[in-house]
Amino acid sequence: MGSTATEMDELVARGYEHGFVTDIETDVIPPGLNEDVIRLISQRKGEPEWILESRLKAYQHWLTMTPPDWSSVRHPPIDFQSISYFAAPKKKPELQSLDEVDPELLATYEKLGIPIEEQKALAGVAVDAVFDSVSVATTFRKTLADAGVIFCSISEALQEHPDLVRENLGSVVPHTDNYFAALNAAVFTDGTFVYVPKGVRCPMELSTYFRINAQNTGQFERTLIVAEEGSYVSYLEGCTAPQRDENQLHAAVVELVAHTDAQIKYSTVQNWYPGDAEGKGGIYNFVTKRGDCRGDRSKISWTQVETGSAITWKYPSCILRGNDSIGEFYSVAVTKGMQQADTGTKMIHIGRNTRSTIVSKGISAGKGQQAYRGLVRMTQRAEDARNHTQCDSLLIGDRCGAHTFPYIEVKNPSAKVEHEATTSKIGEDQLFYCRSRGLSEEDAVSMVVNGFCKEVFKELPMEFAVEAQKLLAISLEGAVG
Amino acid sequence: MTTGEQRATDLEKVLRRGQQQLAAGSAADNWLSAVRERGASDVMTMARPDRKQEAWRYTPTSFLDKAEYAPVVEGPFGAIQPADVEELMLGDQQGTCLVFVNGYYAPALSRLAPGQHMPQVAVLSGQLGDVPAQLKAHLDGIAEHHHVFAALNSALMSDGALLYVPRSASVQAPIEILHVSVGLDEPGICHPRHLIVLEEGAQAQVIERYCALGEAVYFTNALVEIILRPGSRLSHERLQEESALAQHLSDLHVRLDEGSRYKHVSATLGGAWSRTDLRLNFAGEGAQADLDGLMLARDKQLNDVHLDIQHTAPGCISRESFKGILDGRGKVVFDGRILVAQDAQQTDASLSNHNLMLSRSAEVDTKPQLEIYADDVKCSHGTTVGELDHNMLFYLRSRGIPSARARQMLCQGFAEEILDRIENPALHGRATRLLTERLMTYSE
Amino acid sequence: MLSIRNLTADVDGKAILNGLDLEVKPGEVHAIMGPNGSGKSTLAHVLAGRDGYSVSGGEVEFEGQSLLDLEPEERAARGIFLAFQYPVELPGVNNAHFLKEALNAQRRARGESELDSVAFLKLIKEKIAQVSMQPELIKRPVNAGFSGGEKKRNEILQMAVFEPKLAILDETDSGLDIDALRTVSDGVNAIRSPERAIVLVTHYQRLLDYIEPDVVHVLAGGRIVRTGDKALAKELESKGYGWLTGRDEAA
Repeated sequence: MGSTATEMDELVARGYEHGFVTDIETDVIPPGLNEDVIRLISQRKGEPEWILESRLKAYQHWLTMTPPDWSSVRHPPIDFQSISYFAAPKKKPELQSLDEVDPELLATYEKLGIPIEEQKALAGVAVDAVFDSVSVATTFRKTLADAGVIFCSISEALQEHPDLVRENLGSVVPHTDNYFAALNAAVFTDGTFVYVPKGVRCPMELSTYFRINAQNTGQFERTLIVAEEGSYVSYLEGCTAPQRDENQLHAAVVELVAHTDAQIKYSTVQNWYPGDAEGKGGIYNFVTKRGDCRGDRSKISWTQVETGSAITWKYPSCILRGNDSIGEFYSVAVTKGMQQADTGTKMIHIGRNTRSTIVSKGISAGKGQQAYRGLVRMTQRAEDARNHTQCDSLLIGDRCGAHTFPYIEVKNPSAKVEHEATTSKIGEDQLFYCRSRGLSEEDAVSMVVNGFCKEVFKELPMEFAVEAQKLLAISLEGAVG
Repeated sequence: MTTGEQRATDLEKVLRRGQQQLAAGSAADNWLSAVRERGASDVMTMARPDRKQEAWRYTPTSFLDKAEYAPVVEGPFGAIQPADVEELMLGDQQGTCLVFVNGYYAPALSRLAPGQHMPQVAVLSGQLGDVPAQLKAHLDGIAEHHHVFAALNSALMSDGALLYVPRSASVQAPIEILHVSVGLDEPGICHPRHLIVLEEGAQAQVIERYCALGEAVYFTNALVEIILRPGSRLSHERLQEESALAQHLSDLHVRLDEGSRYKHVSATLGGAWSRTDLRLNFAGEGAQADLDGLMLARDKQLNDVHLDIQHTAPGCISRESFKGILDGRGKVVFDGRILVAQDAQQTDASLSNHNLMLSRSAEVDTKPQLEIYADDVKCSHGTTVGELDHNMLFYLRSRGIPSARARQMLCQGFAEEILDRIENPALHGRATRLLTERLMTYSE
Repeated sequence: MLSIRNLTADVDGKAILNGLDLEVKPGEVHAIMGPNGSGKSTLAHVLAGRDGYSVSGGEVEFEGQSLLDLEPEERAARGIFLAFQYPVELPGVNNAHFLKEALNAQRRARGESELDSVAFLKLIKEKIAQVSMQPELIKRPVNAGFSGGEKKRNEILQMAVFEPKLAILDETDSGLDIDALRTVSDGVNAIRSPERAIVLVTHYQRLLDYIEPDVVHVLAGGRIVRTGDKALAKELESKGYGWLTGRDEAA
């Protein structure tokens, strides 16, 4: 364990030189999964009995399940017994220099200028830093507390707001939902809890930075956001990770609950380590994200920019239960090198006059493989419901792939569904035009691709949009030629 | 798991009964034994389709549990006279018309165009003479058993049309393949197997139709192979007007060689359960295919079309446009896949599926798919599901047209965009008439 | 012929017409002018029987009978014709077939005999020439892929074929070049007769240079705020609507 900690610190020190995490060492439970491990996790976290019971129940269910095989992603079987299911930070100041970090990765951080906490603070963004599964820092607590907003780690919430958590946890994504959701329900270590009371407009954008650091530590984040009647909250999630040699599994679960007239905006920029040129060492990102528009006129909006991870498997979804409720999904996904992404959304229209919009922009370069997979379901009750879907794929290079698999199920004649998809090569005329005006090829590509993604970027909060554009430019470096 | 075994046994029973009947038949088709064996062995090993298989996700197959299908035996249909099928015939046709009754060639009802040594026309059962070697060589050349029904067809095929159009030949009059099903004491299953080969630069029109005399229960399990050699052109028009109690499955396999052209229009109107699988493989550069289809469903009808368009060669164009109209408890399933293989650059493919849903208990499940492994491509798909446009309805009514009639006119207009692609006037007339009759009534 | 008294109507719960009165006699041409959002198009659609426009009060009588309970097709059969501002495209529905179907439906409803194909073809040939429409447009699906001018001309053709008692033209002049405007106006002038009334809904005075109105009304805030002769239209052209609606008085 000692060597792991040292190595981790070495890896991290420069990568996070801006930050608050250089003085952290990891306390890791040895790899393996059984009931005792789950009991240990629960015990370490001092959890109430009911949560242990629900973990064990989820674990038992998980044992009966098999990993999904319906998506387009390909990877060797995951050995769930080789994963360590708990890594809690211990405070122990220690600074060492770092030569092992992939210099390209450091350069990426540099170029991105990942906003440090102070910058966030100046910009009026509260940061709940989740580092190796356990929250270590929370800011702006007071401003939020004054507004009545609860923004804390889920462990803390379990202690301080057990009824709120118990009422909502697993109510949108039950442990029976899918293989990775079951696993998460059994072994989740930490995550974020947000509660916005009735009629409150959350006074700031809420942001959490996820970073994966400890080697072989699966991250099982659990996020729960509850927006009471007439409230509004915007939540930003961004991720970076240093280089790893072995694939790391990330199986997070995010649940959103929007009551009557409430709005939740959930934005993600994901640029976890995609692996090296051969695809070695990247993150496996198997995430279940789902929002429940429980009340009438509620709205849930997902915006994601996915450029990282070796494998991305996620379908942020909306259950449009309330009448006149609205679901949105805006996505940009980039795959290059050996990256694979299978992503999309599900819009389940149950209430009357419900609306959903799906805009998916996929960019595939190198040997990247990418699939949009989406479901739009109009149930028999979904009177006058509407969906519009636009899926566009851009191909850069002749060894990549872009696939579109929409499923449309309609059982109500007054519902209206429109789906359009296109796939084409990056416009040579556009590239040439930009270059003839003096832009480098890379800048030209970045400009054209940014234009292609504009519809999604405009949905991101301003500072995130800037970061996303930079990230996209970096992601596409070397993609042409 | 027990149900899976149970199901397999049902199809095995169909297979065994069919094989017994084949064994009792003539020896003229011994050349088919290898194909039949391959089919039989696949039937034994393939699972019966169910919802867990992606290609059958939305296609209910529970009817297989209820009915037992007996192989149709030749014989009693000789009694059917031309007058009995007159209503089913297209008017003003000059070309060859091969009529099959319950899957068997019926010489008395068929018409061979005079002097038709070109194309070569044969039937599997040998009733038009020995099957020419070049047709024998192509049979089962491209049919893959993607599902157990295709395997069953290979195992039990007993008759079907075989057309060979030699190099540069151009057949002027359309060649028609007409299926007529008549009711039997127990539900029968037949396995028509057709093969169409157009040699280099050849041109032809083929009309393929499925009809019934009376409300019979039966299962048509057809398989069609079409091979288009370089530069050939085929217009293929299909009209499915099976009995309202029938099951109909068509499995079409088309191979397009370099520069060939395939034009396909289908209208699937009948049957309690109808599924068409069309697999089209662009094997040579610069070929083009235009596929249009109209699907109607009401009552408890299922109308299902699966397209698998494989762009394996570069520079090919495909256009697919399929429309569904549903009322009552009708269900339309559409699955349209366009695959562009790694080196199929300059592929231009677009697919659309539009559905009009007129009743509360109807259901549409549509799944267009793009699977693209080349970069220099132009591919798109679009799909819509909705009811009649209120603005259009109001416009018609504001001009004095009552709402029921306005609805019919709009549905007809929606459908005619497909039916107008039918080149043969008699077939176009018949399809339009059937559509109009259908739209006269409307079920909630 | 048309008598509107104290008409109020809502769209999506929002009051658009607020006590509108209008009296149109046979043979008259009325122009209803007004700024955007004044309720001009709402009035046109309410008269044609459009869904989604709910009449909350007042009366509309046409030839002495209440209009408001009639279905759109019944109104058409009684001789009311609305030329749409945005004519709807009907893909797959043949234009000639549509015209014949509509004409005969109206005739049937009035207890008149239907026209056979020969008589109908003769009629439309004549009318097409009258409205200077390209003959091939009659063979195409209704309005599908037509240019803006072609759509408007097609509306005028329908009007010429149906010969309505009351024609309501909703912003028929919008988006037309001068030649198209002239043919549309000629079409309207051609059906002017002592038995027939015409209501022109328009934002601009320009159309009235070609179709001379007997009465000009200004609609604002869902009511007729001023009625006059064609001089009123000229006045509006030079002064704008502000002096009548009170909104731009300071300016």
